[in-house]
Amino acid sequence: MTLEIKDLFVSIEDNIILQGLNLKVKGGEVHAIMGPNGTGKSTLAQICMGHPSYKIISGDILLDGESIIDKSVDERSRLGIFLAMQNPIEVPGVTNFDFIKAAMQTRMKKDEHLRVGKFILKFEKASEDLKMGQGLAHRFLNQGFSGGEKKRNEILQMKMLNPRFAFLDEIDSGLDVDALKLVGENVTALKSPDLGLILITHYQRLLDYIIPDYVHIMINGKIVMTGKDELIKKIDQDGYDWVKKELGIEEEDKKPYSLGTCPSKH
Amino acid sequence: MPIETLKMNLPKFLDNHPQLIYLDNNHTLNNAKIKIKDNHLTFKGENEFFVVINNYNQEKVIDLTVSKNQTLRVNLLIYNSKAINLNFNIYVEDNARLTLYTNFTSSRKAKLSISRNFFLKDNAYLRSLNAITYNGNLELNDNFFLVGLNAKLEVEQLNIGSKENVYKIKQQAFHQEKSTLSTINNNLITTDMAKMDYKVIGSIAKGKEFSKCSQNNKGIMLSNESEIAVEPTLFIDEYNVEANHGAAIGQIDELQLYYLLSRGLSETEAKGLIISGYTNPFINKVENVFLQKQLIQRISRLI
Repeated sequence: MTLEIKDLFVSIEDNIILQGLNLKVKGGEVHAIMGPNGTGKSTLAQICMGHPSYKIISGDILLDGESIIDKSVDERSRLGIFLAMQNPIEVPGVTNFDFIKAAMQTRMKKDEHLRVGKFILKFEKASEDLKMGQGLAHRFLNQGFSGGEKKRNEILQMKMLNPRFAFLDEIDSGLDVDALKLVGENVTALKSPDLGLILITHYQRLLDYIIPDYVHIMINGKIVMTGKDELIKKIDQDGYDWVKKELGIEEEDKKPYSLGTCPSKH
Repeated sequence: MPIETLKMNLPKFLDNHPQLIYLDNNHTLNNAKIKIKDNHLTFKGENEFFVVINNYNQEKVIDLTVSKNQTLRVNLLIYNSKAINLNFNIYVEDNARLTLYTNFTSSRKAKLSISRNFFLKDNAYLRSLNAITYNGNLELNDNFFLVGLNAKLEVEQLNIGSKENVYKIKQQAFHQEKSTLSTINNNLITTDMAKMDYKVIGSIAKGKEFSKCSQNNKGIMLSNESEIAVEPTLFIDEYNVEANHGAAIGQIDELQLYYLLSRGLSETEAKGLIISGYTNPFINKVENVFLQKQLIQRISRLI
């Protein structure tokens, strides 16, 4: 079970964001991706999910050796890619329950039926694990949720949908210390040979709870350094300037760009 | 027998229903045995009533009165197959509570013009649920007069416009007494070449302090040719009040769509779920299960 990103170049509008990125994640592994703002960390997660605003110039994304770059967003999800978003979207009028039930049904074979009782028990357990409160099922999707609730709701969806590879994009932002610990524990509990995790974060604090096997530093759209725990500590103490100096990397001037609307792929 | 002529239109569960009141130009059927005199219907007793207005086209105003201290539900089912004009005066007396569900149905593409004046007395409460799945041009003019102290109004409207129909809707809440409260929520959906024009007006008169007036309008256009125009307006002549209004109209939100796709829903499923976000909160408020089922069927035929 592998997710492999091969020499990937990605642009949005006139900006080339990813510039020859390589990464291989196997089932059971946890990879942390760190780096200064604007280096393409979120772009990496979004392009793997299939966000239609980004364009692949060259390179490939392989899931178990097969390219998925021609797959639509929903197909990728059903193949097992999951993205816990940095800014989860509100969908008023649609209850959490109906949404997650619909998402689970898409993963079932034609002759299979969702066993509602079993589903409710699983939902309630996940909700309890994440301390989401009893009314969660009937609340509208992310509407009126606090920043922390939105992030925990992303993890709840991950628990329900059992992805094979999950990108957690700054899942720690907006979480207080207790919530961070809770999310960390829940994600760690999901670790198994059937799940590859890619954590995108700026801070060490998340990685205190979810211990990564590999730590990658991303600058100017590619991974420039890979290490383990010691790298996290060094970044936490000294930032990224030493990496740039050590590797002779110069800052690039990038034009601002807008994600705008993101029409679905037809 | 009027009930025979009704069979084409009426839901089956209303056949010989004990709480049915039926009006057409030639007949009146009063199974509920309420007081009816000169087009004036007076409701008493805590119960659920079904008032069916079938191709009724008289110049006379239909008066409905909910007597003092009564709590009841009235389902107003309006059927027409030809152009008609209807005028209502609806009185909710002191301490009375009325949940009024109105459903407009046309068996043919016919124009319907309705004007309703509601009078809410002291401590009266009105919840007006309007399901508009009307095939034909519709003009609806609802005036809510909050004339009693502490009168409270909640309006929920779901309007699904289809074909080339035009819907002109005016909703006005007049706060004419202190400590009155009005909330108007409109959920609007257009398909095909349908056009909706909403004027939503809240007025708080001078001296009517501690009143609250709120309007919330949400619209989604499912085709490029359809249109929704909403003009929310507040006329406030008193300082010590709370008032707000808003309208959010657009096509399917692409970010919402992406989010749902990223969880594995196909584009059709995702769009269906987003649209259900406009319809389901209203459907869940329809308490009568038969009418709720009927509404779901009508919605699924339209979108």
